[in-house]
Amino acid sequence: MLAMLRGAVLALVLIALSPLPALAADDIKVGILRLTSHSPSIIAKAKGYFADEGLNVEFVPFQAAQAMAVGIASRDIDFGMTAISGGLVNLADKGAIKVIGGALMETDDAQGQKILASKAAYDAGLTTPAALAGKRYGVTTAGSSFHYMAHKIADGEGVDRSDVRMVPLQKVPAIIASLKSGQIDAWSIVPNIGNALARGDSVVAIGDVSDYIPNYQVTAVFTSTANVEDNPDLVKRFLAALSKGIDDYNAALVDKTMSEEDTRAIVEMIHEYVYADTPIDKADPRIRAFGMRINPGAALNVESVEDQLNWFKSEGLVPDSVTMDDLVDTSFVDQPS
Amino acid sequence: MPPDMAPDAAVEARTPPAAAEAKGRRPVPFRGGTFRPRAIPFAAPLVFLVLIGLWELGSRSGLISPIALPAPSEAIAAMGDLIETGMLWRHLEASLSRLVMGWTIGTVAGIVLGLAIGLFSLARAGLSPVVSALFPIPKIALLPLFIIWFGIGEGSKVATIVFGTFFPTVIATYGGVDSVDRTLIRMGQSFALSPLSIVRKIILPGALPAILSGARISASIAIILLVAAEMIGAEYGIGAYILLAGSLFALDQLIAGVAMLSIIGLTVAWLIGRAERALLDWRT
Repeated sequence: MLAMLRGAVLALVLIALSPLPALAADDIKVGILRLTSHSPSIIAKAKGYFADEGLNVEFVPFQAAQAMAVGIASRDIDFGMTAISGGLVNLADKGAIKVIGGALMETDDAQGQKILASKAAYDAGLTTPAALAGKRYGVTTAGSSFHYMAHKIADGEGVDRSDVRMVPLQKVPAIIASLKSGQIDAWSIVPNIGNALARGDSVVAIGDVSDYIPNYQVTAVFTSTANVEDNPDLVKRFLAALSKGIDDYNAALVDKTMSEEDTRAIVEMIHEYVYADTPIDKADPRIRAFGMRINPGAALNVESVEDQLNWFKSEGLVPDSVTMDDLVDTSFVDQPS
Repeated sequence: MPPDMAPDAAVEARTPPAAAEAKGRRPVPFRGGTFRPRAIPFAAPLVFLVLIGLWELGSRSGLISPIALPAPSEAIAAMGDLIETGMLWRHLEASLSRLVMGWTIGTVAGIVLGLAIGLFSLARAGLSPVVSALFPIPKIALLPLFIIWFGIGEGSKVATIVFGTFFPTVIATYGGVDSVDRTLIRMGQSFALSPLSIVRKIILPGALPAILSGARISASIAIILLVAAEMIGAEYGIGAYILLAGSLFALDQLIAGVAMLSIIGLTVAWLIGRAERALLDWRT
């Protein structure tokens, strides 16, 4: 007994003295939403890419993107990944957070967001986005990515922005309920939800968002301004590990160049967090249905971000004084090739 | 009596000293003035001003970070923008019409059902458990159902407020009916008043204080529910304005919107106070 104790103490001393890099691991908290679009972080943790960079990652699940941005501003979490919303820009304006990389992007070589119409509106003539004038368009809130998409689609069809009526419904399930029951006419949403809805009787797909907003940078990676300024090395290591996760995600679920066996392993990793309350056999096709590309290397389409920022300003949702430098730090990642 | 005190000593202590008795009657000061609230009109505004002044000082000095709380002057500026653009009236009009309609329907229906439960045993036995079962359901949780039942127009918004104000009114009303002095009712019966007369002249006036204090609470609940009601498809309205400000993290607008709700709350409380004074005149 005593010998064992002595051995344990010796081991502890040895561990304390040894200069193993694992002991210097930085604890970071990463905000995730339980969506397939957050797979790269999940894969990077499960495959140990974060650990390779000396990062000890704890996931903090969020219900909504907005709360994640506030969580970073309050320093409760270090990194997050969501759409660029008015709230995020306003927090960047207050000097709290910065966009450091890109994630989901509309590309030609992968499926993208769908424009949907309710069956009733479709039967009444809303068969293409050109007929959006005078129609009710579902958004979560003013200043959300849905609002931006609606205006860009209207611009593309030469429809006056003010002729498309925005109906704020706060939550995606509320929008789905309203669209299915024909209380709103149109909506745009990520392909897995859009295709699933269009397979039913009450919703019809009438177009693709990428036709109106090519190379639309849908979501971005962001962190606190303090991390960018005081700990750029940490940010670099996070993005390096995340990039490996992105490569695995694209190979497995977008380009499908990975073997079925490896793909299944990736899906199982994602299933730990996404659709965790449904059995893996049911969740598997739902996870694979997403299929939107995430930029390799977390590359950021700065042009698209600038267009979104200008749109927020034109709608009076953010102060005119916000600059791209307030919002984005471009030193960490490249432009998408 | 303290246990260690001898019985004789206790008796002695109770009898007044002989000297005081010799002097005749002691002057007794008037003790009835306390426990009666006095109107001090300047106190409330002063407290508000001091609190807001301290808050402004904290923000100006950097003690309160702008991310945690905006300065009151910024919120006032946001309010100024609302007045200048005329949006304030649009928001107020939309919200007040929902509040008035929802609260009126909820309160009237609540008083009717509350009286029924208070007056009729069958209604009490059958319906009061239903009220108890439905009251604690958070109306916000039912919003998706309300969309299907009442649509995303005014229907679901008014319905949220109606459901929120109905149940507390029912409970306040039948509680008020229950607490009416039974001897007064018996007296009415002795004087051979008709049941309708007893309800009209004894039970209703007797239950009115409870009904009015129920109205105070249900009006506040209606204002609280305004934000929830305007989650669904509301373009205008103070609740919609607050939700938008929250999602944009525009804290100055958020505080301005919340202040508007407070002002509505104060106004409603004042109106009900006037109603209490007018209707409960007999109570002195």
